[in-house]
Amino acid sequence: MNELVLALAVNGLVWGLIVALIALGLSIIFGLLDVINVAHGDFFMLGTVGGLVVATSTGSFWIALAIVPLIGLILGAVIERLVIRPTLRQASLTIVTTFGLSMIIQEVVRATYGAQPRRMAAPIDGTIPLFGINYEIYRIAAAAFAALFLIAFFLFLNRTKLGTWIRAVRHDPETATSLGIPVTLVTAFTFALGTAMALLGGVIAAPITTVDFRSGVDILPVCFMAVIIGGLGNLQGTVAAAIMLAVLEGVVTSFVDPTTARIASLVIMSVALLVRPHGLFAGATR
Amino acid sequence: MLNVTGLTAQIGKIPVLRGVDLTVNGGDTVALLGRNGVGKTSTLRAILGLLRRTGGSVVYDGRPLNDVAPHKLASMGIGYVPQGRGIFPLLTVEENLLLTVKGAPNRNMLEEMFVRFPRIQERLRQPAGTPSGGEQQMLAIARCLMLEPKLIILDEPTEGIMPKLVSQIRHEIANIAKRGISVLLVEQNLRTAMRLASRVYLMERGRIVHEGTSAGLQTNPEIVHRYLGVSLKNVKGVIQ
Repeated sequence: MNELVLALAVNGLVWGLIVALIALGLSIIFGLLDVINVAHGDFFMLGTVGGLVVATSTGSFWIALAIVPLIGLILGAVIERLVIRPTLRQASLTIVTTFGLSMIIQEVVRATYGAQPRRMAAPIDGTIPLFGINYEIYRIAAAAFAALFLIAFFLFLNRTKLGTWIRAVRHDPETATSLGIPVTLVTAFTFALGTAMALLGGVIAAPITTVDFRSGVDILPVCFMAVIIGGLGNLQGTVAAAIMLAVLEGVVTSFVDPTTARIASLVIMSVALLVRPHGLFAGATR
Repeated sequence: MLNVTGLTAQIGKIPVLRGVDLTVNGGDTVALLGRNGVGKTSTLRAILGLLRRTGGSVVYDGRPLNDVAPHKLASMGIGYVPQGRGIFPLLTVEENLLLTVKGAPNRNMLEEMFVRFPRIQERLRQPAGTPSGGEQQMLAIARCLMLEPKLIILDEPTEGIMPKLVSQIRHEIANIAKRGISVLLVEQNLRTAMRLASRVYLMERGRIVHEGTSAGLQTNPEIVHRYLGVSLKNVKGVIQ
């Protein structure tokens, strides 16, 4: 029993790292643009579908891993220009516009890719014994990829000029403008980056989840939970909360069914927000 | 250097500027004075394109700024130190200082900054929100100077600063002017404004209501009292 709990905790950690990547995209979009992006889960779904389609047509998962996030970057830039910019700084309106976007994305995928859920073969075969069970090697690799991209993201944000500009614009766009930062471009890039991170998470997750046009609907609440519990706009807090929630849900799943485990997550979020309304990590460095 | 003519702007549907005219000549230090809420900060923001202009013209170095994107003004030589300093508190002091410096920073310029503002060098790696208000104001001025501006627009640089640091900031602004950089200064501290500026504009309800030399204003207590609500006798150090 103890070994099963540990294995499910590791599974939770793997999933938590992927969710962290996706939730981080949601968090930077919210932190910089005040956009409550209801379509973010569908960007993840596009990553899973895009990953499967590109991997199938090219015969290589690794090409999909390289190409799909780039497609996400371009897609994000286009969506920012057409959907986000006209409603910028009107958070409540962005819920409506991104909800519409979510419906459009789902219906376009259903019309082109189909409504049938599919599975994708893992690009790395084999299992390793872990806490008494045979654990898929790809799941370990997926966690490593997600961790690597998380580190790369924070390095980009803290060590590059563009990353510094993003942090400056998040705090005070007007002063940033007066100092010569092209705020409109930085904003567009940030949305595109957040979108690309969701698609990247989707490609990494595609071999360990069901590729389905509605999979974004399932992951969106988890991402929002991570962003809220992490403290709105607090990027490190978002990562910590995503991992914490997924590990917790994994552990709880070993005692009860997945639906009850999700309910447990929601109860924990509610209690956490009652005790700390601005999130568990509010006040930490953003 | 800077010619503002008939500048109008509104916030929402409320007009805040009703035709502002002012000029800053090369090497000049000009102060814009007035009570709270008369439109001083709005004037600066409208000049910089941060508040949408609804009419009038802003010409800088012979070039109209009407169609120039606000973020391009810094590279054209217009520096801005906003009210409240505009420091990015979670960026380090160094990141603030070099935020928009293109390529490698000018070493001579950086050395000069460190000589003039030694506290900045000591705190380079610290989050910029940790130094005192006065040190943050020094950082804001140094950050502006790193972009080698020809005109610096300062909004209330001594607001909320400890009295012992006010004279230091005043000294730095005087130094800026000595380097031949033009200065447009909004200042509540009448003593500071009159000491630094050669010319002053007084604002009332979104318009310029008085223009003259600083020396002339010092001999006109009635105007000072009418538009600024203070008595010159109470402004220590103004009347020489």
